[in-house]
Amino acid sequence: MNNLHAKTLDIINLNVTLPNGHRLLRDVSLSLEPGEVRALVGESGAGKSMIGKAVLGILPTGISISQGEILLEGTHLNALTPATRRKTIAQTSALIPQDPLTALNPVRKIGPQITDPLTRIHGWTKARALARTRELLDRVHIRNPDRVLNSYPHELSGGMRQRILIAAAFAPSPRLIVADEPTTALDVTVQKEILRLIRELQQETGTGVLFVTHDMGVVAKISQKVTVLFGGRVVEDAPTRDIFENPEHAYTRALIAATPTPNASIEPFRPVPPALIAELHREIQADDDRFSKRAQP
Amino acid sequence: MLLKTVFVRLLTTAITLFGVAVVVFTLVRVAPGNPISMMLPPGATEEDIAALTALYGFDKSLPHQFMIWIGGVIQGDFGTSITLRQPVDELVLGRLPATLELSLMALLIALALGGLVAVIGARKRSTGTEVGLDLTTGAVLSIPDFLWGLIFVLLFGVLWPVLSISGRVDPRLDIDFTTNFYFFEGLLRGRWDVVSSTFSHMLMPAMSLALPLAAMIAQLLKQNLKEVLNQDYTTLARVRGFSETSVILREALQNAALPTLALVGVQFTFLIGGTVIVERLFAYEGLGNMAIDAVINRDLPLIQGIVLLFAALFTVINLLVDLSYTFLNPRLRNG
Repeated sequence: MNNLHAKTLDIINLNVTLPNGHRLLRDVSLSLEPGEVRALVGESGAGKSMIGKAVLGILPTGISISQGEILLEGTHLNALTPATRRKTIAQTSALIPQDPLTALNPVRKIGPQITDPLTRIHGWTKARALARTRELLDRVHIRNPDRVLNSYPHELSGGMRQRILIAAAFAPSPRLIVADEPTTALDVTVQKEILRLIRELQQETGTGVLFVTHDMGVVAKISQKVTVLFGGRVVEDAPTRDIFENPEHAYTRALIAATPTPNASIEPFRPVPPALIAELHREIQADDDRFSKRAQP
Repeated sequence: MLLKTVFVRLLTTAITLFGVAVVVFTLVRVAPGNPISMMLPPGATEEDIAALTALYGFDKSLPHQFMIWIGGVIQGDFGTSITLRQPVDELVLGRLPATLELSLMALLIALALGGLVAVIGARKRSTGTEVGLDLTTGAVLSIPDFLWGLIFVLLFGVLWPVLSISGRVDPRLDIDFTTNFYFFEGLLRGRWDVVSSTFSHMLMPAMSLALPLAAMIAQLLKQNLKEVLNQDYTTLARVRGFSETSVILREALQNAALPTLALVGVQFTFLIGGTVIVERLFAYEGLGNMAIDAVINRDLPLIQGIVLLFAALFTVINLLVDLSYTFLNPRLRNG
């Protein structure tokens, strides 16, 4: 907002650390142009969700940013006071969570859960918030929105709740959405629909999306850029087409090879070779040694 | 569905109360000491004792006595107090409002104080403030209600005498109320002299009863809050820009209150049990104080009446706790 030409998101040499000094993210750099979808892929523990949490300021207690910069729409988040940072993040960003079953407050009705942030944080009138909510519920194919707005979460299905959470995320017209494995908790038939809705809404609104996933099949469908992570390090960063057609890093090739295809039943499953994992761990070790030397010259 | 629930509830209540009636009736008669020997002067003859025993029906067999008493109870006649020579139901119901006011005041104080400490503790979790609050609530919890009563008497009755240490209300006040709920009726009638006098008498015993419960609520509610504050919906609320305090109050509190409520229900009945000693300590004219007199004087009908009333009170409280559960948890409604 303060800089029209700024990238939606710019992460520079981000290091996220446990209290004991162990690094969960190691010099991660990536950026997101307005309207771009970037997939963050990697196995469990690769740090892909941690990037989203760091950007949104919701790192778990004890885990903190030890080095590096996060620029949201050109604003240095580190330079802000906690309260201003919270407001800045809320004004520009939103989160589509992983598990729709736990992401809605069980004792509150759906309606206020969507409209509250719009009226109380974004300062909209009640009527405007309600109109926008209805519009988006309609957009994510929820019939009789009035009944849904008056429901409690337990009265709705998982797919319906995820569509509501997508509507809630897009409602304040954010510039950045972090989608944290938004289809993982859903069954396969619903996954496709959810993915399509996110892509459609993203294209209509020109919102930048950080799409966290471990599913290379999803990556191919939704993103323009891909960041491959291993052990909190960026292994490869390239346009999606290049990742699939011409993967540079052996780990990326192994990930793609490990993705089940429709022919999976006749092809044997090919896990990432242990030798490659060992090689990656050696690289991380060397990197950590350099990092600790840098920290105490 | 609802009708069935109500019916089952009423039936279990009736069975519970009957059981309580049997137990208390038997216990007070099996326990040593009897009211007749307390009523007669030294040197009474065997004939005098026999005559008086027959007058009160203590010569009949235990089951026979029970049938007579329970038959009266079902018709609303709880017998006559041996020492006070008045109908038990009048005596007991006359004292009930005093104890109810005291217990409710204590409950309110416990909820407000415990809730506040829990919210502050959750807000300042993993800091020195939380540790300090934990230590404080632990210490408060380890001191029983009657000891708190003595501490308060010493502090605000002796060292800095600002509160009344004895009785329920200033006896010089002219109270022509229709009920014995002096505090509540005083509020409704705008009789601020009565309200402030009862409040000043009630505050110390209420605080004594409330502190241990408040500490318990503070510990449990804080623990539940901390668990809820790790839930995805609270994280989402933070992303949406709500401050931590507002996340706690708007998103977490109601969810955390649910498991706390079960404990509060049970502990509130213990609190009412605690009124017996605390009322005595402050010479507060409630049921508990009357219960102690009744026991000392072996006033069997009065003891039975008081115990039955306490039992009925506990079942009502349990019912209210269950109802508030459905109120707080939408998943239990129309389920």
